[in-house]
Amino acid sequence: MNAVLAVKQYVAKMIEDSGPGMKVLLMDRETTGVVSMVYTQSEILQKEVYLFERIDSFNREPMKHLKAICFLRPTKENVEYLIQELRRPKYSIYFIYFSNVISKSDIKSLAEADEQEVVAEVQEFYGDYIAVNPHVFSLNLLGCCQGRNWDPAQLARTTQGLTALLLSLKKCPMIRYQLSSEPAKRLAECVKQVITKEYELFDFRRTEVPPLLLILDRSDDAITPLLNQWTYQAMVHELLGINNNRIDLSRVPGISKDLREVVLSAENDEFYANNMYLNFAEIGSNIKNLMEDFQKRKPKEQQKLESIADMKAFVENYPQFKKMSGTVSKHVTVVGELSRLVAERNLLEVSEVEQELACQNDHSSALQNVRRLLQNPKVTELDAARLVMLYALHYERHSSNSLPGLLTDLRNRGVSDKYRKLVSAVVEYGGKRVRGSDLFSPKDAVAITKQFLKGLKGVENVYTQHQPLLQETLDQLIKGKLKDSQFPYLGPNTLRDRPQDIIVFIIGGATYEEALAVYNLNRTNPGVRIVLGGTTIHNTKSFLEEVTAAGFRGRSTESSQAPPRPSSRR
Amino acid sequence: MRSHLSDFKKHRAARIDHYVVEVNKLIIRLEKLTSFDRANTESAKIRAIEKSVVPWVNDQDVPFCPDCGSKFSIRNRRHHCRLCGSIMCKKCMELVSLPLASKLTSASKEALSSHTSPSSSPNSVHGSRRGSISSISSVSSVLDEKDDDRIRCCQHCKDTLLKREQQIDEREYTPEIVKLYEKLRLCMEKVDQKAPEYIKMAESLNAGETTYNLEHANDLRVEIQRVYEFIDALSKKILNLGLHEEPQPHPKTLQLQRMIRYSATLFVQEKLLGLMSLPTKDQYEELKKRRLHMAALEAHRRQEEKQKDSTSRSVAAVNGDASNLKKGTVRKSEGWLPTSSVSRQCEIADPLLQQIDNITSFIKQAKAANRLDEVRMLQENLRQLQDEYDQQQTLKAIELSKKQAEEEEMQREELQVLCEKEWEREHHKFMSQHSRTHSLDFREVKQHQHEVTKENQNLIAHGLDLDITQMKGNPSSETTAVQQLPAKDNFIFPVKPQNVPQHDKDQNRAACLNPFEDETDTPLSEEDPANPFAKDISPLISFSNAIVQSDKKEYNPFENEEDEQTNGASVSTSNPFEEDENPCQKSGGNSGNPFEEGSSTNPFEVEDGNEISEEEAIEEELLLQQIDNIKAYIFDAKHSGRMDEVEVLTENLKELKYTLAKQKEKSNC
Repeated sequence: MNAVLAVKQYVAKMIEDSGPGMKVLLMDRETTGVVSMVYTQSEILQKEVYLFERIDSFNREPMKHLKAICFLRPTKENVEYLIQELRRPKYSIYFIYFSNVISKSDIKSLAEADEQEVVAEVQEFYGDYIAVNPHVFSLNLLGCCQGRNWDPAQLARTTQGLTALLLSLKKCPMIRYQLSSEPAKRLAECVKQVITKEYELFDFRRTEVPPLLLILDRSDDAITPLLNQWTYQAMVHELLGINNNRIDLSRVPGISKDLREVVLSAENDEFYANNMYLNFAEIGSNIKNLMEDFQKRKPKEQQKLESIADMKAFVENYPQFKKMSGTVSKHVTVVGELSRLVAERNLLEVSEVEQELACQNDHSSALQNVRRLLQNPKVTELDAARLVMLYALHYERHSSNSLPGLLTDLRNRGVSDKYRKLVSAVVEYGGKRVRGSDLFSPKDAVAITKQFLKGLKGVENVYTQHQPLLQETLDQLIKGKLKDSQFPYLGPNTLRDRPQDIIVFIIGGATYEEALAVYNLNRTNPGVRIVLGGTTIHNTKSFLEEVTAAGFRGRSTESSQAPPRPSSRR
Repeated sequence: MRSHLSDFKKHRAARIDHYVVEVNKLIIRLEKLTSFDRANTESAKIRAIEKSVVPWVNDQDVPFCPDCGSKFSIRNRRHHCRLCGSIMCKKCMELVSLPLASKLTSASKEALSSHTSPSSSPNSVHGSRRGSISSISSVSSVLDEKDDDRIRCCQHCKDTLLKREQQIDEREYTPEIVKLYEKLRLCMEKVDQKAPEYIKMAESLNAGETTYNLEHANDLRVEIQRVYEFIDALSKKILNLGLHEEPQPHPKTLQLQRMIRYSATLFVQEKLLGLMSLPTKDQYEELKKRRLHMAALEAHRRQEEKQKDSTSRSVAAVNGDASNLKKGTVRKSEGWLPTSSVSRQCEIADPLLQQIDNITSFIKQAKAANRLDEVRMLQENLRQLQDEYDQQQTLKAIELSKKQAEEEEMQREELQVLCEKEWEREHHKFMSQHSRTHSLDFREVKQHQHEVTKENQNLIAHGLDLDITQMKGNPSSETTAVQQLPAKDNFIFPVKPQNVPQHDKDQNRAACLNPFEDETDTPLSEEDPANPFAKDISPLISFSNAIVQSDKKEYNPFENEEDEQTNGASVSTSNPFEEDENPCQKSGGNSGNPFEEGSSTNPFEVEDGNEISEEEAIEEELLLQQIDNIKAYIFDAKHSGRMDEVEVLTENLKELKYTLAKQKEKSNC
């Protein structure tokens, strides 16, 4: 149950199978992302792969002394490109790997194009998803639904991605889905269909407890992607944006050329691997340690120079030292930028109110705090809008709801129309009417007691009180308490034991806060292994784009009191 | 994973059969058409033969040219393809020249004897078709030429034939890069194979064990070292392939060459760092004695400590663990230098012992708990720890005993440094001229023009490292440079005492393969820079560039250090290796020092040296010595049949002789 490892093994196998000699890796746009998530360039170089090419690139020179490893999605365009390639082969021999199930007819047309007999291998290697962390994967799809229905192309892609994950992890799961969501049901059915059709592929060794696939819908929890984050990975994504492990720092003031874009990968960055789930304060002190450690290793201090042994140790450490200096400068820059943004945007205060809106039920205090922050000039447009969105979601049906007043405040503040419309769009997307589970008020006695006790003890960290709904859902699932009425099984069979291997997929995108929750669940529940996936990994900005793309454009702020009505643009 | 290969092959086979039959048919006909002497046969007869090869399509059946659609008339006459019999107009007609025909037919005859399918050699490689016969012949300015020595055919047949020709060319041609690359891989394999063996030997020898023969290890070391030089030179050659040709190679080709060079550099860096040095003969004798002595002493001491420490275990465990962990990261899989780990442990001798004790007790516990794997692991652990402790003790003892020999050693050391420097300067010269093309990242190099000044500074840098009193007897002219800087000598003095004994311990430095040798020396003379941190994260600073950059990509870790030197050194601002991005070059410069001893062989070093400039006054004696050495290498290389080496070396020898002649001339006038 390690997504990164699974993809890594695929790539390693591909390269290994092609034998010795100079190689070129031919990929398409998506598989380039898949491979780059799990391997660095120098790692691949050591395996004699010297060139990386796109199949659709026209600037490729014939190099008959190279072997070509083609790792492609089995799309129509790719097959067509490949046919062209085989008609006039540019490389001596081709090893072809498709990232998903390919049709027999495509195989036939490829075979017929291979007049020069340059193809040595044709296989399916199911690396058809972006392995973000060992327990997190994404499909990098934005805007998967139109209204409350799937975009057909995206549904097909999501089905492919999800089945590829199942195949690569060697799981043939039972499927549960969120009843309140139509897309969840559709996806569940599509996955089931593929499993039935390709039953040979899914014929894995049976485990005692069959694995479980749980399909959820983002609209059930629109709160989580709206919150500011304080753990490293989530925070970087929220404030800077992570795109296939890459972070664009070009907008950071005074950034040096080499740090315009940095890569944060837990696979080959020890510091990041150790700190990605820690909160900002801890990172601050860890980065201080890292720097101190680094300074210690630095050979130039006078007392260090006195001992040649130290020099020698330094020299031996060189690769590590070298790597470390890169790591230090990278993380210092990133953390520095984060703290600059925190100060500039007044994020501590904003986040405190956000957490209050998400976790507590004191309407008047919340309203007061939101109003106060809306007057604060340091609070950005986005943060102001998200506060109002959180308010709108939480107190949607509250008797003294003063959303119109807040919207007026937003307008007076000069927040653009786009954001003001988004407030109602978000409510449309994830409001009470849509939700299958109760996001705010605890539903049973146990939960109420829990919250009461929490209130008594006081919260440990005011900025990280919020627990995503997913945490609760998975917790119940692990305990075997998740209600069949809300999350029914697809098909007649149900699971009698507690599930052990769980794949949970969120239509509309997961978040890094949820990734953290899953990480913690994996850690605290031995025997349970959870992998989290989503059509994408969201931060607030991308989530709002998702909402817009789904067609919830919201109404103009003046008429916002009318009850929300799902738009039907299709 | 699911394979579609068998399916694919099935479909392909059907298609290929058809294709192969087509091609073969054409070739057989082509052969028939060319099997007689066309020049001396009258055209009517030719036509008859041609018609007999393939039935011609009836003129009446084809009113229009099937390819371009133009109507046939008296002006626009029909032409028949001699290979398939079809009809086309003159415009659409192609011609096959006799040389091309014979090439195709003879190749297929060969193919019949050796191959059966056109692509049965998957490693067949692509060649430039620039010079091939067909391209000349296919220039179809043929209207007024005699058609008799060409064979008319349609476009389709011609296409098929050309494709076939291309395949033949590709099969026969192996581009230079492939040849070089194959050699490169062979060398890498050799290293992978030999290095672990050597490391095992060196470890054992450095520990004073008698399992291996010192000379044997030395030979192996030299051998491995030579392979590294080869790897470096080969990859450099690959990098520069076609750079001076017109037209320039395709950018992708250049990219490929760069990537190969880059990965070779990575390889050398990683492996070379793991190679440790060997003790000299005397040291080795000493080591052996000490080891015996210490073993006895050790056993005794350990027993004592064991009893003492058992109470303070919990605290010690934490410390010990930490130190052990740290060490673990230092170690590379290829091997670590025992000297260094030992010297590290000098500072934490107690924790080491405590750790040994802890582990012994852990083993006991594990045994009691019957966890056999753990016991094994722990025992392994314990053994390592004890070995290290042994080494540490041994080295301590050696240090004491060596105090006497210090003076001599120092003298030797310095003589060596001077000689090395001499060599480096030649080397540096070469590099500064060529780093533009040789360097991996092609960054701007500006050092060349400052060369002379820099050399002076360079002398200073080295001079600083030396004890001035030791310099007097030295014949080389550098002494003056050093004497001009007495103040600096004072500065360096406190450092010296610690340095030298270590040197003794660290064996014969000239023979050392460690490319950092010079670096480890030079920083000693540097002053602590004001803001070291900024520099550390900016390994990519080029020499003359004051901008502080931060390191993101890995180019060459050695640059980092170079920059530190250049930046950090207020005294020795210039570094002779600044431009040299190549570890091998460096190690070549040090290890290949021919003046000190004749044992080191480094053909490529010398190759680099063929750019030696005249203004460098090299001492005659040394030159002669070097010439002798090279002669010996040539003999050796010839003996073992490494012809490429012989070539290089001979070239070198010439160069050296030339230099010698110049030298003599100079001294005469």
